[in-house]
Amino acid sequence: MKRWLKKSAEDKILDTINYIFCAVLIFVTVYPFYYIFIISLNEGLDASFGGIYWFPRKFTLGNYRDFFSDIKWLRGLGISVSATALGTLVSVLFTVLVAYALSFRELVHRKLYMTIIIVCMYFSGGIIPYYALLKALGLINHYLVYIIPGALNIFFILIGITFFEDIPGSLRESAMMDGAGELKVFSRIILPISKPFLATCILFIGVGKWNNWYDCTFFVQSKALRNLAYLMMQVINSTQVSATSAMAGASSSNTTTLSVQTAAMVVAALPILCIYPFLQKYFVTGMMVGSVKG
Amino acid sequence: MRRRKVGQHKSGFRKQLPLQLFVLAGILYLSVFNIIPMAGLVMGFKDYKITDGWLGIFTAPWVGLKFFREFVTDFQFPVLVRNTVGISLCKLIFTFPLPIAFAVMLSDMRRGWFRKLTQTASYLPHFISWVIISGISYQFLSSSGILNRFLLALHVIKKPIGFLTDAGMYWGLATVLDMWKETGWWAIVFLAAIMGINMEMYESAILDGASRLQRVRYITLPSIKPTIVTVLILALGNLFGGGLGGSNFEQSYLLGNAMNSEASGIIQTYVYDVGLANGRYAYAAAVGMVQSVISLIFVFVSNAAAKRTAGSSLF
Repeated sequence: MKRWLKKSAEDKILDTINYIFCAVLIFVTVYPFYYIFIISLNEGLDASFGGIYWFPRKFTLGNYRDFFSDIKWLRGLGISVSATALGTLVSVLFTVLVAYALSFRELVHRKLYMTIIIVCMYFSGGIIPYYALLKALGLINHYLVYIIPGALNIFFILIGITFFEDIPGSLRESAMMDGAGELKVFSRIILPISKPFLATCILFIGVGKWNNWYDCTFFVQSKALRNLAYLMMQVINSTQVSATSAMAGASSSNTTTLSVQTAAMVVAALPILCIYPFLQKYFVTGMMVGSVKG
Repeated sequence: MRRRKVGQHKSGFRKQLPLQLFVLAGILYLSVFNIIPMAGLVMGFKDYKITDGWLGIFTAPWVGLKFFREFVTDFQFPVLVRNTVGISLCKLIFTFPLPIAFAVMLSDMRRGWFRKLTQTASYLPHFISWVIISGISYQFLSSSGILNRFLLALHVIKKPIGFLTDAGMYWGLATVLDMWKETGWWAIVFLAAIMGINMEMYESAILDGASRLQRVRYITLPSIKPTIVTVLILALGNLFGGGLGGSNFEQSYLLGNAMNSEASGIIQTYVYDVGLANGRYAYAAAVGMVQSVISLIFVFVSNAAAKRTAGSSLF
């Protein structure tokens, strides 16, 4: 920590422990993903014999070809992409608008609104009454079940309120003076300076939607509406118990259900791997605001 | 300027109409999707079938505590409670301290590419869904997975270890996977707290001849105690959901199977099984309520305990 002191024996030992620990941690975290990646590039039948650690043994793009030519996987991917895009858009907009309005301390009935929101955060009816409600609303087995439930994120309302409170009120007031309406002020002035918060919101809500398998498991029975996460889960469930059933799907091109599954896993993880390092600085501050003030 | 508006409620509300409409839309939404289901919990005391429709919940005949009694006397009850509490406590004891240790370690390292790489890598698994992680677990830990093959090849073991199929392994599996997924993520919060500590404290400690471990023990840890307590309360509040990661259900559903169900079956998966899968909605709602009530007691007790011992609390 302090360069002006000479390194003691203790320093050397602790530094060594730190670096070894971190190196092990990086390996343990990254290698599983790397392994799935090389398996997805290997012939499925060959991979099932084991012994692959660092590089594909029999390189092939067959798993990806099978993935992208199977209507079941393609449809799942399409559902996941569209539900994530649309669901995130709706959810972020709704959440941000409510948070923005609630950030005004002089809002009439603010206390009542906050109480309702806090109650909704801590209490819930659980999955069973929720299912009955969605059934009554006609959302069971409907595409909109991916969009409408969860359109308002309470956790991000609370973070948003603390974020918007820090924006000086004079910004809004001077714009209002110039005759701008509330929506115009929001879209022209508030949104552009809220990028850090928006980025955090989009990342978390987006990742949540992309990774969501339980909405599909609980509320959707129709095959045409299955999303990618659900389809992956289905393969895992059917192969988990015995290795023989994993081989059962072997097709002409030496791929197996399991090896196509690894391709699906790569396709599902890739967008997240590509996005999250770049949004790091935003969500790190977002986490801090949320945990310190929330 | 702003102060003047307070107090003139009627005209105030009208002046704020656009803002009020945003909020009211949100409140309306919460009423439908959060508050109405809470009212629906009353089905746990009623002889309700899903075919009765939503309003049927309120018109169905009362059965009192019948379903609660049925659950408590069910042969699975002790097993489900044991697993729910056991897995949750394992996670609390073993996964909670790890992010703190990791954050202390990171703060002790020189800033540079290696530290940045370590941190970036450490929270990667947080963003990956449990479905993919259970897929990875299968590739690594099944009887023909890479770990068993590796150990067999080294002659460390004679026959594959049933990480995923042995009931005795499940609690450990759930805990270790949770550590793997969430340690780096929660370290962010503790690292931020450590970065906020006044540097002069360390400098004078060095002049006084304090060793590095002593500095951690007497400066770092006491300084971040409020953060530790806050996060601990959050974890306790969701104890039966699986603590910080809230992963009990997803793990149990995705990694549980016929072979390890004796150790992996928890109240939440039971609710799903009897309710949505087998159609016993009223009974499942009652079972879910049992867990909610226990959790709620936990939140209040842990919050009160934190208030008394550490002087900080959530509410």
